[in-house]
Amino acid sequence: MKRMALLLLASLLAASFLFGSLVAFAEDEEEHGGDIIYTKPLKAVIFSHKAHTEDIGLECDWCHEETFEMEALHMQENTDFTMDSLCNENYCGTCHNGDISFSTTTQCARCHIGVKGYNDLVRQGKLEPAEGEEIPEEQKPGH
Amino acid sequence: MLGKIKKETAERWGYMGFKSLFSSGIYFNVFAFLGLVTIAGLAVGLHGTYTGYHNVYGVTRQIPWGVLISGYIFCVVTSTGLCLVSSIGHVFGYEPYMPIAKRAVFLSIAFMLGGFIIIFFDIENPHRMAIYNLLSPNFTSNMWWMGTLYGLYLLALIVEYFFLLDQNHSMSRLAGLFGVLFGVAAHSNLGAVFGMLHGREFWYGPYMPIYFIVSAMMSGGAAIIFFSCLAWKIDRTVLTRRMERAIMAVCQLTILLIAIILFFTFWKIISGIVSPEKYIAIQAFLTGPYAPNFWIAELGFGLVIPFILLIRSKGINTNLMFIATGFMLVGIFFMRYDLVLAGQIVPVFHALHVEEYSSLLLYTPSLHEISVVTAGILIAIVLYLGGEKVLNAHKFQKHAIVPPGAFICQGCGGIHYMKEGESQDDALKRHHRMRKVDREDEHA
Amino acid sequence: MKLTNIDLEKLIPENLISVTKMERRAFLKIGLVITGVFAGGRILSVTSNVSEAFASGKDFVDQYPYKPHYSMVIRQGLCIDCERCLKACKETNSVPDYGYRTRILTKIVTDAVGRKREFIPILCNHCNDAPCTRACPTRATYKNKENGIVMMESKKCIGCKMCILACPYEARYFNAERHAIDKCNFCWDTRLSKGEKLTACSYVCPTGARIFGDMSDPDNVAYKMVHQVEKQVWVLRPESGTKPNVFYMKATRSSPWDLRKQDGAR
Repeated sequence: MKRMALLLLASLLAASFLFGSLVAFAEDEEEHGGDIIYTKPLKAVIFSHKAHTEDIGLECDWCHEETFEMEALHMQENTDFTMDSLCNENYCGTCHNGDISFSTTTQCARCHIGVKGYNDLVRQGKLEPAEGEEIPEEQKPGH
Repeated sequence: MLGKIKKETAERWGYMGFKSLFSSGIYFNVFAFLGLVTIAGLAVGLHGTYTGYHNVYGVTRQIPWGVLISGYIFCVVTSTGLCLVSSIGHVFGYEPYMPIAKRAVFLSIAFMLGGFIIIFFDIENPHRMAIYNLLSPNFTSNMWWMGTLYGLYLLALIVEYFFLLDQNHSMSRLAGLFGVLFGVAAHSNLGAVFGMLHGREFWYGPYMPIYFIVSAMMSGGAAIIFFSCLAWKIDRTVLTRRMERAIMAVCQLTILLIAIILFFTFWKIISGIVSPEKYIAIQAFLTGPYAPNFWIAELGFGLVIPFILLIRSKGINTNLMFIATGFMLVGIFFMRYDLVLAGQIVPVFHALHVEEYSSLLLYTPSLHEISVVTAGILIAIVLYLGGEKVLNAHKFQKHAIVPPGAFICQGCGGIHYMKEGESQDDALKRHHRMRKVDREDEHA
Repeated sequence: MKLTNIDLEKLIPENLISVTKMERRAFLKIGLVITGVFAGGRILSVTSNVSEAFASGKDFVDQYPYKPHYSMVIRQGLCIDCERCLKACKETNSVPDYGYRTRILTKIVTDAVGRKREFIPILCNHCNDAPCTRACPTRATYKNKENGIVMMESKKCIGCKMCILACPYEARYFNAERHAIDKCNFCWDTRLSKGEKLTACSYVCPTGARIFGDMSDPDNVAYKMVHQVEKQVWVLRPESGTKPNVFYMKATRSSPWDLRKQDGAR
């Protein structure tokens, strides 16, 4: 009996830690912009704030507001938000030029998550679909 | 048309008229019930034709062949088997197998029709098949040969059965020979339909055609025993001494064929396990989602249980044989189902290791598909039940008046004439082209 | 670290641009020797082989027996799954929602450094030895004698689905509206026969992942793509022996023939 009680206590403790850390994690995300999903000019490109700040330690003001506006997805409205422009060291290309970080001429599908990646995120509830947009059900093989 | 058959012809054919169906209340009720189920099944199938098969069938782009093809194969395998096993007697002249001929060929036609009905509901444009099989044949296509050879086979069967009815044994024998030839060609070609798909490792190779022929004979043996035992349950008088002997012979053959199919299955698995392409499919049947199909239905019902029961029956115990072959027919259906699915459950792009094809493909038969298969198999059974009554249990006619110099053949039941100084036994052998054996000499 | 004594600026770049066409063709005549297995496909690499060196050009001709010999080169690394090609295909060829003529598969390489995702477009491979045309009972599907496109004559299709099973690339599906099997025909009826140079999918591809071309013409871009010594080119499911005409290769935007888009693409 005693052992059972101990076990219960331990698991409760573990659960509370886990929950606590989850809350903390969510709070962390508040500090930066989270994942930004670009859908223009084509679906879909992911930008991870976490990968750029937490993981490799970039500061906010290195990119904001000179290269990127603070408002998410703002540059999507610009006509020159294209790969050609990126190759000329604009937008992401400012750093992703092959010198500072990997070039935009390589590793296409590292940022391009495609329609599949976009749909997955919507299905997982991490992304609000655009108005009137229908997300097809996941294609299960054989059905 | 059949209603107006002359009395003499009717006697020769053993034609009893459709009124004979009503002779027993229970029998007719069963017959009518199964008939109605068949019609209901066909109606569901026609509903599918109307709404479009892709809306109601469980088959997909990845698994285009499902339970319909399995049912079709089950029917034509049984048909070929019935033809082949019965041919041992009335085509190749081995006397003990002779009495089964009439029922076997009748059943063979019945199962062939059942199979054709099922495939009718699988093929999307059967009307085009009738036109373009002739106008635009592709001689390299196994599918073309399948349609053509099975058509010829059915024709040969019908001619053979007509002459069997008419007691014209030399003609029925000739037609039977063509039946066997077309049957073997058509059926091994059906195996090749699968065996020549070089994009599908599980099926590819000469195994399929060979396996199809041998397993057809096994199915045929099972079907003959099952339906003969059933006939005895319907009408005790069918159980003559000659029939008993015939069934014992078929039983022995069936036991041997089960043993052969057991080792076919064994080596298919063993060789499949060491082949990386086949391994996944084999594993799905040994331990995966299809394990119950394989171990219980295919191996248990289809092979092991009947093997033991048939040996224990010694070819005499009809109840035991009836149960054994009943199990067997169910098991054989699952064998066909497993065979059709096994080649398709591994996605063609499995080796690419992509997300979309990371797991086995699944297939579940839909209500429409099950209805059509049920209807197809029931058609054969309903025809059989009708045939037992209307065609006097496929007995050879007993001749009331034997002309002078003639005798009633022990083998076929027909009337044979003896040459001068010839014994009945010799005349029988002459008529049925059996080798003359000097019995005295043999015993000495 | 500095490379001493070599003036990189003055060197003639050692890429294919500096190799004359004749040299390249002579080299190719040595033979395309098949080596190795790579990513579920077989690498068709251009390596010299003594036994083949003196062989006639017959094998080479056999490889591209049609004129024009339509073919597609999938530059796998460039596909970003924007699915414009799928949309264009559906619209151009009136493909219903339940079917597709081409599809994009996702491959996740969990242990890769950097990019872990890869998109692989698939379509009918228009094989030289097409198993589907052999399987069809009524010759409803056949290889066009001139351009090698595997086509459908819908009115002959009986709908037996034999060709779906025979195809090792899952390129076929039953189209209820056409009452026949439907498949990619390189937009023959909708575009090529009307004078267009590209299929709908390669026309709209924003990255040049789908290069459509004529392999019987050594000056054609598709031909040049496939016949590069330094590039690994492979086909899907080579073990089926179908001699497919859709070639796969890795590429980035900085590859030789730095085609952002194919000539004529939108």
